[in-house]
Amino acid sequence: MTKRKFLGEFEQVTLLAVVHLNGEGYGMAIRRSIEARTNREVSIGAVYATLERLETKGYVSSRAGESIPERGGRARRYFEISPNGREALIRSRDMLDSMWDGVDLEAASDAGQEVA
Amino acid sequence: MIDRVQGVRPPRASRVILRIFARVRHSEALLGDLDEEFTQHIVPARGPRRARMWYRRQVAGSIPPLLRAAVDSRRGPTEDRRDNLMQSFFQDVRYSLRGVKRNPGLAAVIIVTLALGIGANTILYSVVDGLVLNPFPFPDEERLITVGTEYPKLGAPLNFVEHMSPAEFEDIRDGVASLEHVVAWDMGNRQVAWGELTDNFFTGFWWGNAFDALGMAPFLGRGMTLEETIAGDPVAVVSHRVWQARFGADPDLVGKTLGVNGNPYTIIGVMRPGSELYGLDLWIPMGVSPEVFPRQRRQFQILARIGDGYSHEQVNAELEVLARRTELAYADMPEYEGWRLRAETWTEANVRAIKPAAYVLLGAVLFVLLIVCSNVASLLLARSTQRRREMAVRTAVGAARGRLVRQLLTESVSLALVSGLVGILLAYVGTSAVADILAGVPFLPGSVELNVRVLVFAVIASVTAGVLFGILPAVRDSRGEIHGTLKSEGLSSTGSGGRLRLQRALVSVEVALALILLVGGGLLINSFSRLTRVDPGFDPESVMSMRITLPWEDYDGPAIAAFFQTLEEQVEAIPGVEAVGRGAQFPPIAFAFRRVATENQQVVGEGQLPTAMTTLASPGYFDALGIPLKQGRNFSDTDVEGSPLVAVINESAVDLLFPDGNAIGSRVRVGEDADEPWFEVVGIVGNTLNNGLDQVAFPEVFANHRQVSGWSNQMFVLVRTSVEPYSILPAVRSVVQSIDPDQPLYRIQTVSEALAGSVAPRRVAAGALSIFAAFALILAAVGIFAVVSFAVGARTREIGLRVALGAGTGQVRAMMIRQALVPVAIGALVGLGGALALSRLMAGLLFEVRGTDPLTIALVAALFGFVALVASYLPARRASRLDPVEALRLD
Repeated sequence: MTKRKFLGEFEQVTLLAVVHLNGEGYGMAIRRSIEARTNREVSIGAVYATLERLETKGYVSSRAGESIPERGGRARRYFEISPNGREALIRSRDMLDSMWDGVDLEAASDAGQEVA
Repeated sequence: MIDRVQGVRPPRASRVILRIFARVRHSEALLGDLDEEFTQHIVPARGPRRARMWYRRQVAGSIPPLLRAAVDSRRGPTEDRRDNLMQSFFQDVRYSLRGVKRNPGLAAVIIVTLALGIGANTILYSVVDGLVLNPFPFPDEERLITVGTEYPKLGAPLNFVEHMSPAEFEDIRDGVASLEHVVAWDMGNRQVAWGELTDNFFTGFWWGNAFDALGMAPFLGRGMTLEETIAGDPVAVVSHRVWQARFGADPDLVGKTLGVNGNPYTIIGVMRPGSELYGLDLWIPMGVSPEVFPRQRRQFQILARIGDGYSHEQVNAELEVLARRTELAYADMPEYEGWRLRAETWTEANVRAIKPAAYVLLGAVLFVLLIVCSNVASLLLARSTQRRREMAVRTAVGAARGRLVRQLLTESVSLALVSGLVGILLAYVGTSAVADILAGVPFLPGSVELNVRVLVFAVIASVTAGVLFGILPAVRDSRGEIHGTLKSEGLSSTGSGGRLRLQRALVSVEVALALILLVGGGLLINSFSRLTRVDPGFDPESVMSMRITLPWEDYDGPAIAAFFQTLEEQVEAIPGVEAVGRGAQFPPIAFAFRRVATENQQVVGEGQLPTAMTTLASPGYFDALGIPLKQGRNFSDTDVEGSPLVAVINESAVDLLFPDGNAIGSRVRVGEDADEPWFEVVGIVGNTLNNGLDQVAFPEVFANHRQVSGWSNQMFVLVRTSVEPYSILPAVRSVVQSIDPDQPLYRIQTVSEALAGSVAPRRVAAGALSIFAAFALILAAVGIFAVVSFAVGARTREIGLRVALGAGTGQVRAMMIRQALVPVAIGALVGLGGALALSRLMAGLLFEVRGTDPLTIALVAALFGFVALVASYLPARRASRLDPVEALRLD
């Protein structure tokens, strides 16, 4: 099977949130960080589904944290980006950069309007 | 604030759902995260209600990605897997369409039976949804409550209507911290004048703004304030339905003036549709403060909201404390001993009466759908000879078994969805018919319609049905026994043995389910027919009843007596009228119950006075209803205001109040207050089923309305006729017009109609369950017929051989029938056991019949045996007529 080369949009967002939180990111903190930065409501299930996929691909690693009564005895799980993950993020950014190079959408849409 | 939010838990159902779907590696961490966030951040920031909404939204949003993750991880991380799934799905749908084209007859039969089953389920679910689950449009319904009272020492069950005194209302409003927006109201009739029109509106008299408690804004205008309701400002709110029906949906109605009992009221608001409480069409202020009423005047009911951060249990705990405190504070009021206050949601309190019947019917109709499913499964098994060939070929060219099962299931689910679509169309028609029927039932909250919830139910029912009836044939057909199937093409009789066994098992299932329905239907019909044959103790035929409410503003006691005396005299002169009387209530309409005292009363129970129905009546009342006088005398024209007060009591009241006899000449007092006057008992009348046909005769004390006409301004006029009852109506109307042209007649019906109306829910339940049972019987018969036919077809060669070897036609026929009846007998035994177990659920719907009624069960068993015999005889006869030569040559 072909190996996936580029990350999906939500995968990138999640990975970047993991990086922002610098090893202190557990599921809900990652979700909160995404919500705060993107201003859109994100479900915890989507975050975990993505983290699981990223972990399977070896882009993030995780460790169990403390368990407190408010969590019904369930330990937090902290996520950290792996070297492979870094590489994938950079690759995705480079790819997007190279595609964006020379594109000016605002100018293009203005031009379109004038024609109309 | 902090300790109030401490106990808030995430919504339980959502949590369970999430646990089911969270099938990722770190699902424990996920659940922990969500709980932590909920209790630590969301509840403090947004409050419990919105926090729970947040939680539900999180769960709903989490399920799709989690499901996808679960599927992906099971199949490995290939990216085009999902495309494959979609592709193969459409391929399967194409296959199914091809299958339908190949065998349109079979598809039509399946779709029609399934559509009937799904349609019936959808109709019933729309009834349950509209009347039981979601009858009211109020937001956040689980926090809108009413408080009931219960007096276990008096044997008085939990009651929510006309049961609470103003003082008790104030105790709850001011003493229960977990409740807010506590409002109370009383109900009665008011004469409403609008332009040239007069009408009678069922009216609520309020303390407080009901819209605050209901948690919704009015449709138009505003609600009444607490100050207005106490001061009695002339302001009025009308219901949405009278706004439409009586006021022509006038968008500028607010601000206009309405005559209420002759006084001008300003309309300040219109209620939202469906928010009439107990059918009230008009809300006006109570006009006095609660303190003016004595503590025992229990004729009010209340509504309230559970405050933010409090739970239903906390409310009940507070109410219990209040009840005990009241008991201590009013030791002189013995009814408080052991009394209980209990909060129920407004919805629950309103649906208690119809809930059992609704669920029994929903259960019954689900059974019908199950029978339909097993029938369809049986049909699909029978067709599978050709299907297995196709499957064998596909297996031979490399299709995996899972893929074949998926294809077959896609087929059955597609069929079921098409059937569901047809079923929804049927339900669309059926639901509006049911809604029309139910519109005639008074005081029924809610309305029946096809809404989104009902449609979701229909789709779920369809898909479930598709999987149910598809799974057996799918597993069986996908076995792909390449060699046997491709080679022998089902020539041997043994090849179909397994399928036959499955079909027989399905017949057992069908028979069991159908028998349960038949027994249930039989019990309800039996109950209902007993109920209609029961002797009510009076003669309800040819008696017209109508109600008049005279406004207190224009009529005092003597004027009320004069009005009704004149009315009775003039109506009696109408040709065709045999007797005229009036009464505040008549069987089965019963609402006035009071404590009754006798002189030298022995202490009854816990120092309590017994309860009797107390009915104001005129001398003509007993003749008009045909209630026999057993002893003493009736009221007479010499009993007038000022003459010694007299009472007539029924035999049941004699047993209750004067167990030693000597009732005549003794005295009774109505009400607990020692200041109330005494009445001398002058006559004893026969018992009537005055509290409903399914109840025993209640003790009843009649007082002469003429002597105490100030006690009631609203009376039913009862007219016994020798002609068709409704034909006298115009003459009665013109009599009323001639006395006071402003007084409308309302609640016009014959007494027989009133009795029939009182048993209407039972009639509907018995009728509907019988229809389901009949449907089930037909389906089971078809199932038996199909299996025997299939057996005959599969065993043609064997039968031919037997006949060739000298077996007689009778022998062959008996053998086939015997074998057909084995699964029927097994199913019947299971079904009877199930019926006995389930009939306990129906106990509340039965009347004078026990769930184990032997006659009903024997009749049902006999009917079923006969049908099973016919259904298996017809195809068996065909077998016995086989020509052995033909049968053996059949290769």
